[in-house]
Amino acid sequence: MNKSWHLSRRSFLQGTGVALALPWMECMGQDASVKKAPKRLASVYFPFGVSLPSEKSEYADWNWFPEESEGTFRFRKSLESLEPLRDQITVLGSLSHPAGRKMGGHDTGDIFLTGASFRGADYRNGISLDQYISAYVGQQTRFGSLVMSSDGGVGEPTRATTLSFTAQGRPIPALSSPRQIFDRFFGAGDASSKAQRRKLQNTGSMLDLVLENSRSMKKRLGRQDQRKLEDYLASVRDIEQRVNRSTAWLDIPKPEIAEDAVNLAVDQSLPVEYMQAMYDLIFLAFQTDSTRVATYMLGQVAGATTIANAFPACLGLQGNWHGLAHGAGKGDGAEKLGRFDQLLANQLSSFIQRLSETQEYDGSLLDNTLVFYGSSNSKTHNNSNYPLILAGGKSMGFKHNQFLKPGANVPLSNVFVTLLDAMGIPHEGFADSTGELSELRV
Amino acid sequence: MRNQLQIKFDLPIGNRLACLVLASLLLVTQVFAAEPDLKTFRSRIEPLLKQYCYDCHGPGGEASPRMTLLDPDIYNGVDGETWHDALNRINQGKMPPKEATTLPDNQREILVQWLTDEIAGATEAKRSTGGKVVFRRLTNYEYNNTLSDLLGVEFDYAENLPPESKSNDGFLNNGQVLGISPLQMEYYLAAARQALSKVIVTGDQPELHTKVVEKSIKGGRDNSVNGEIVDGRRQFIAGIDKYPRSGKFRVAVQAYAVVPDGKPVPELEINIGIRSDTLSPSRRLAVTEVRGTKSQPETLVFEGRIESFPLPGKNPKFPGIQIRLKNLTALPEPVPKKGEPIPPSTEPVVYVKSVSFEGPIFENWPPEHHTRILPQNGAGEDGYVERVVTQFMRRAFRRPVAKQEVAKVLGFYESIAHNSDSFEEAIRETLALVLISPEFLYLVEPIDSEGKTQELTDYELATRLSYFLWSSMPDQQLFDLAEKRLLSKPAVLEEQIQRMMSDQRSWQFVRNFTSQWLDLSGVNRIAINPQYYKGFDERLKLQMTEETIQFVGEVLYQDLSALNFLKSDFVMINQSLARHYGLPDPGSSKFARVPLQGGENRGGLLTQGSFLLINSNGEDSHPIKRAVWILDRLLDDPPAPPPPDVPELESEKADLASLSIKTQLEMHRQKASCNSCHQGIDGWGIPFENYDAIGRWRETGLRIVKGKQIQAELDSLAQMPSGIEVNGVAELQNYLVEHESQRFARALVKKMTTYALGRSLEFTDEEAISKLTQQFIADDYNMKKLLVEIVQSPMFQSK
Repeated sequence: MNKSWHLSRRSFLQGTGVALALPWMECMGQDASVKKAPKRLASVYFPFGVSLPSEKSEYADWNWFPEESEGTFRFRKSLESLEPLRDQITVLGSLSHPAGRKMGGHDTGDIFLTGASFRGADYRNGISLDQYISAYVGQQTRFGSLVMSSDGGVGEPTRATTLSFTAQGRPIPALSSPRQIFDRFFGAGDASSKAQRRKLQNTGSMLDLVLENSRSMKKRLGRQDQRKLEDYLASVRDIEQRVNRSTAWLDIPKPEIAEDAVNLAVDQSLPVEYMQAMYDLIFLAFQTDSTRVATYMLGQVAGATTIANAFPACLGLQGNWHGLAHGAGKGDGAEKLGRFDQLLANQLSSFIQRLSETQEYDGSLLDNTLVFYGSSNSKTHNNSNYPLILAGGKSMGFKHNQFLKPGANVPLSNVFVTLLDAMGIPHEGFADSTGELSELRV
Repeated sequence: MRNQLQIKFDLPIGNRLACLVLASLLLVTQVFAAEPDLKTFRSRIEPLLKQYCYDCHGPGGEASPRMTLLDPDIYNGVDGETWHDALNRINQGKMPPKEATTLPDNQREILVQWLTDEIAGATEAKRSTGGKVVFRRLTNYEYNNTLSDLLGVEFDYAENLPPESKSNDGFLNNGQVLGISPLQMEYYLAAARQALSKVIVTGDQPELHTKVVEKSIKGGRDNSVNGEIVDGRRQFIAGIDKYPRSGKFRVAVQAYAVVPDGKPVPELEINIGIRSDTLSPSRRLAVTEVRGTKSQPETLVFEGRIESFPLPGKNPKFPGIQIRLKNLTALPEPVPKKGEPIPPSTEPVVYVKSVSFEGPIFENWPPEHHTRILPQNGAGEDGYVERVVTQFMRRAFRRPVAKQEVAKVLGFYESIAHNSDSFEEAIRETLALVLISPEFLYLVEPIDSEGKTQELTDYELATRLSYFLWSSMPDQQLFDLAEKRLLSKPAVLEEQIQRMMSDQRSWQFVRNFTSQWLDLSGVNRIAINPQYYKGFDERLKLQMTEETIQFVGEVLYQDLSALNFLKSDFVMINQSLARHYGLPDPGSSKFARVPLQGGENRGGLLTQGSFLLINSNGEDSHPIKRAVWILDRLLDDPPAPPPPDVPELESEKADLASLSIKTQLEMHRQKASCNSCHQGIDGWGIPFENYDAIGRWRETGLRIVKGKQIQAELDSLAQMPSGIEVNGVAELQNYLVEHESQRFARALVKKMTTYALGRSLEFTDEEAISKLTQQFIADDYNMKKLLVEIVQSPMFQSK
């Protein structure tokens, strides 16, 4: 727990002495007396898979998956920090995206949340789970979603540095600087709301004019260039919508968060503090109901370019992440990668712990939040048997304290469908789903 | 042409013949058929492929590409690049592989002739349907430079823009790759507004804060002995209570140094930041050498924009900002217990006499950057706003603007003017509109009709040119020449290139091209393992990339041969790198040219820390990475990526740890599947075995297995793919100059042209590249002349 965060949302509301309606209720035009908790999803991805030594190996206790015996299971070293939270989590094994099984070992980070299929030169991704949810609930919060990664930006096809993709399969740039994310979500606007309103109005007319001018410009461009201009215009239209949304939010102040609630001075050269700051930002964004979906891509699956490749070495572990993953099959390599798996799990545990200790409505923040954590590789380059953890969501009917292995042929999208159902999001399946994974819920 | 050049290569006889054949072919194929020759394909080529290639590349084979699926119509089909690849491989003697089959010379001739004709013909046909127009967004660094030049205020405008991706060929300015997203648009608008609020001022001149500090703040969380003497354990911290929240400021440090004999001149780092409870966030203002003496202290002056630095929030616990001075050169020395005296330092020490702060600084009010956009002359008169807007748009759009275009922007101004707080506010908003328009954010080159190649207008030429050489917008002189339509005249153009290259801004080219071409940002991806390199100073990484940039700059500006990249009798280093490499100290933290006597094992790009470190794993050398880098970056012949699940070398196994990497690679090559690729790769990396992961010379290799240090053998004797043996770097450098200079020349030409055009090259560009390469070699590998040739080429001047 970060001690500097003493203020729960509720006490903040009381403390200000202002009858401040919860933004989402205001927007929904709901009666503020109906206290219905929002439902949220945080998705965290890590590359290169986990340590999976065989049961016979002397390093067997560094196998990421729990050990099963007589209908129960025991966390091994990597996940031991989750033990106190076992009633809040489910470990999932055997699952994968069927489309991913046919793809290159380094190519599946792009589809972790989309389940889309692409091969060869024809790269077309689909909508990611978080954006699908955002399309339904995003209007109720100031921000539609929070998209983060350690590398930032969009990367390149098959080596995306973001987990989130639009309905057209376009990558959404991830933010990577804690300071920038904090300013965006909690930074105070610089002027009065009257001045802000005027700025937004100006922005609206600016965008109109830009769209109008660009249409006449388009005629004078080559076909290929027209497509590029189309991307630009799509972006302009999108911020036009954001302007409209911002106008609706104008009179509702951004939540006041003390700057030292998050360590904003860190960057990727201090991996432990950095990842902690990223989790803290998700926590704050959820707690203040600034958004309902968040994604964080810890690293991308390109050893040569991802900044996260250097993370293990900064922690005193030998070698880079990709190298550790490659070496996990040999000798004490299983332990080395295992120690890093453990560190990542420790951070996840603190995040879940913090959510569970924070009260809201009739339960904890965790009860109304789903945390989905995992990789699209089991071992490095292997696109099946994803190591996955699902946590939280009690108020949505999730039951935990389980280690489930639904079977190698079950698409991961079945889990996604289950999450959508639990969150009350209408759908007709997701990607290649074949049904729900009913074991997850009561 | 290029094939005549290839004849000089030391290739096996069969290939040499193929090259000869090709060379003569190109002489007679000036007139290409306008249609694909599928008849020959069916009658002669297909049977030939069937006999010699389909075993592996046919329906039953495993190898890629599956040739039976390729469209033999190179003119209209989509497989032109693949056929071109195949031709290259056949020419290089890589295909068919010797162990599979032998392609008789007369058969090879038929195949090569047909492919060459078809590709050349298709090139011509494609060109007549129009070259590729480059409609590309400004990169983040170009955006930053452009706003700085346009507004006259230097600032990091691109700070919040999402990071950008590189193209396949490693460049950031590739129009295909430069996408845009709503988030980015949002930040463009925010950046434009923020920028204009700096540039266009309102009200009276803000009060100037000045403070001179002679005593450091003592104590502090991480160091209890701060003071006026700055060494490895003490900082000088100046507390500034009154400061502006935005605007230019000036910091002056009066100081002198005391340097013990044989020690380097100390470097002083000046940071500005705030104090908070748990952290002291700050940002670097400058690093400078201190050369003043006790009798003659010097005053070092620096300027910056205060909003670039961390500032206190509202009602902070610790108000005010701090200027922190740190000695980067002095090694850490033990700090005595509280109350005990501090023993004198044996390190280079800086004595700080005073630190002064003043800001916000304006030479005039309103400042020049304001009056450049809003001249005081004619303010308030009819047509004033129109003049202001027109003038701004011309510079922002980098071309003349039509009355209708201005009218629309003016319409916006009028619609908001009555509602705005001030005239300036309305103008800021209006100009922000200009700065989010595609005409500003993109390099727009409209065409008359689809499918026809057109020459660039003079304005478009000015723009391409300035983004090539300056990574920014054209200056007034280029605009003037464009207006008079003089720029496109070859003599004028060449004169302008020379002028631009002698301008400081051309360092933008050196910096951006070099770091993208050579992938210098790679130093950030390698974590140096402290177990192997105790006390490695992370700041050296930056100096290593700077060394490479300075080296390329030296070759370019001093009109040296680009073959110096392969082998040189000088290095560009500063004092910390000299110490790192064990070379004579140039006595300054500034980079200087230091001649080599021979035998130092340095010189050229390939002995520089940047190359050696980027292509290591942070613990040991990585001959494969080093080899691939050379093949990719210097010879433009990247090997195919490794197949998935390729095993790593098993040097961590105790019984193998003491073997040299070369021996381990030899074991790896015993597998036939590995050997087919590695025989073409390993030789390029093994000669560097005497350089460790941080680029130092070494005699034995160090490996740590289960906490134990193991000395490993080193072996830098390599067999090159051509069969020639090369022992160590010196011999490899000679080999490169003797055998690979043409291939290197061609690679450099391609990389520079790719950067100049902002797009990937295609096979339609082959001929132009060959011509440029030929000229480049004839010009003794002179890079400045190459720049001129690229700009004068039709590729650069058409759209």
